[in-house]
Amino acid sequence: MAPALFVDTGSPVHRLNPVTKLVALLSILVIVFALPQWWTSAIVVVAILVPAAIVARRARALAGIGGRILLPIVLVLVLVQGFTFPGGRTVVWQWGALSLTAEGLTFALNTGARIVALVLASVLLVVTTHPGDLMSALTEHGLSPKFSYIISSTLQLIPSFRTRADGILLAQQARGLAIPRSPLRRVRVMLPLLGPLVLGMFTDVEERGTAMEARGFGSTVRRTALEAVPDSPGQRLARWLMAALAAAAVVVPLVQELL
Amino acid sequence: MIELADVCYAYPGAERFVLEHADLRVEPGTIAGVVGASGAGKTTLAKILSGFIPHVDGGELSGSVVIAGRDLAGLSLSACVRQVGLVIQNPFNQISGARYTVRGELAFGLENLGTAREEMADRVTQVADLLGITQLLDRSPYELSGGQQQLVAIASMLVLRPPVLVLDEPTSQLDPAGTRMVFGVLSQLRESGCTIVIFEHKLELLHAHADRLHVLAGQRIVASGQPGEVLADPRTDEWGVGATRYTRTGRLARDRGLGPVAVPLPVSFDEAVGFFGGGPR
Amino acid sequence: MSIAIEVADLHHRYLGGVEAVRGVSLRVASGERVAIIGGNGAGKTTLVRHLNGILQPSSGTVLVGGTPAHGRSIAQLAAQVGYVFQNPDEQLFAGTVAADVAFGPRNLGCSPEEAAARAASALAAVGLQDQAGAHPHQLSLAERKLVALAGVLAMRTPIVVLDEPTTGQDARGVELVAGIVDALADDGRTVVAITHDMDFCAEHFDRVLVMAEGLVVADGDPREVFEHPDALARAAVEPPQLLRLAERLGWDARPLTPAEFVHAYAHDPRTLGDGS
Repeated sequence: MAPALFVDTGSPVHRLNPVTKLVALLSILVIVFALPQWWTSAIVVVAILVPAAIVARRARALAGIGGRILLPIVLVLVLVQGFTFPGGRTVVWQWGALSLTAEGLTFALNTGARIVALVLASVLLVVTTHPGDLMSALTEHGLSPKFSYIISSTLQLIPSFRTRADGILLAQQARGLAIPRSPLRRVRVMLPLLGPLVLGMFTDVEERGTAMEARGFGSTVRRTALEAVPDSPGQRLARWLMAALAAAAVVVPLVQELL
Repeated sequence: MIELADVCYAYPGAERFVLEHADLRVEPGTIAGVVGASGAGKTTLAKILSGFIPHVDGGELSGSVVIAGRDLAGLSLSACVRQVGLVIQNPFNQISGARYTVRGELAFGLENLGTAREEMADRVTQVADLLGITQLLDRSPYELSGGQQQLVAIASMLVLRPPVLVLDEPTSQLDPAGTRMVFGVLSQLRESGCTIVIFEHKLELLHAHADRLHVLAGQRIVASGQPGEVLADPRTDEWGVGATRYTRTGRLARDRGLGPVAVPLPVSFDEAVGFFGGGPR
Repeated sequence: MSIAIEVADLHHRYLGGVEAVRGVSLRVASGERVAIIGGNGAGKTTLVRHLNGILQPSSGTVLVGGTPAHGRSIAQLAAQVGYVFQNPDEQLFAGTVAADVAFGPRNLGCSPEEAAARAASALAAVGLQDQAGAHPHQLSLAERKLVALAGVLAMRTPIVVLDEPTTGQDARGVELVAGIVDALADDGRTVVAITHDMDFCAEHFDRVLVMAEGLVVADGDPREVFEHPDALARAAVEPPQLLRLAERLGWDARPLTPAEFVHAYAHDPRTLGDGS
């Protein structure tokens, strides 16, 4: 089994309406791009994301998963922009033909900070929200149930796809297939196993479609939900406020420029 | 009531007909068992009975399929599925993937049909209790064993309470205790008026629970009758159905010139007690 | 007689914390046919998955052919232990049935000709010689199960492990699998099979292992094992039909197969102590 991204600690962050969390993510996206200075992102991370992760008791997961995604991106960004930024004149450090410029580093910092904020916000949403809950909540807000099903079943199928791939690999080893240590040869050995995996998935999808229809998935009546998605007037207000804040972050600088 | 008349069917692009001039009649509130060799077309017949053929799979279907007085050809797929619940053969694929607990999984169909929340919760609790899976309600449907998944798959259909239920080898993954329980539940459902068509290989259980047995062989229904009559037919081997242990043992005794001559070969345990109880001559 | 499998105080705990096998010890002689029965979740599959190294013991030891399974890879153990998975779709992957069945022998170092010959004879054994050129996905589930079985037969391993080989098979399929179990034993090979089919178990195995809650609760000759109502109740299984019938008829004989039953019937079943 793949390590679970979502772990229910029952914290207040977990209990928020998933749509509230999604609106928060989208607002952060808009704000950090509308206000491109690195400290906007820094404030978002330090004042919002980190405390939220701590309250959710998922700080370690956020750091682990976020770190794994961000480390290579930030590294590449700093190296590439630092050394090759076209407008770079202020040389900080030189080695042969390569020169690290302050302008390049500033650019990398501003861009990198935004990426860090966005990735961490997205990871926090994922580790505190079950995809099923998110989809139910979105369906309640008018998302097409078919679309929501495609998303959530795909998310659910990823672990089952892995389990199946593991099963196929084990079965072939049980028939004497040695898995080489070198990654390149390993890929060569494992490539032929992909065929049945994909073919099997197609057969599954077809059968699953039948099973879904048999349970009224094609029905046109208004759907109901077993679990009520928690919501409150406070959260509704918060969603509007966040949206307004995001809009302000776009509009205010524009107006300032015009004046 | 279910009435299939002169049904012929070939999958799209296939030259060979899977069914040719098949007739089947199932009285309301009864359990009909359908037996036949692997590859005899049982899964195809199950899909025809539930409207998936031709609505989803396409292909050439002729003849009539009438359920509760309405020809399925004239109904939309969603109208068909309200009439007939289908439990497919592979329990893994019956799981929607859209819900992350067994509870949510069981409610999925009810949500689609717009059932009120309280009724939904009640029905889910009830069906879980009926199939002995209450302790699984909060588990992920993907983390279950094959047998448990099969029970969840059956429950996810029973919870919708369709007037007609079609089950394609619903006990293949179950242990003997689970198998007996499922048959017991089906008998209970029959009492509440549900019409059931079950495709199975387990002859002894079909004999005990089915009202009538139908044999699918050579692309059509070749025999229908009381389970005892059908299973005592000398042609069961020819049909690829086989015989119960009791019939086989009785036949072996008779071949050696042993056992009562005037009594028909035993099919069930009780008949075998009668057959062998009198001594070898 | 040499010992094919020796398991000593085996425990297995899964990552999630469930202890599926809780102290099993077991010796299987070469050429023995052992059936493992028990309810869903009794630990049967977990136990046999240690025989070819798919699982490693949490504690305890597993010896296969006299040497520890520990430290040998699944692929190395494959030369000794053939394992037929319950779900054939995990096993089948080649473009044709024949190529799939030849895959195991090829891995074990057979020449292409030798592998093809073995594949052909294994397919004939499961009655699918006419499907050699077909794509595995064109076959029915029952047929795919037989192809998976053929794939392991073609490896000609001294030990063959079968996980529920008769599920989904029709009468002919069950008979075919039973014939294969008998033929393997005649050939002196060891067969370990998990099954829910008590009649199949009674008629084709020398020894029955009853599992419940991760433990072996009864082990021995089918006639003896099926005399233990407590163990059977714990494992949620019931005796085979002909044994129940003989008991109901008040016989002393304990027939397991139709032939034994008729034999006992022809003689005086009330005085025959065993079904022979």
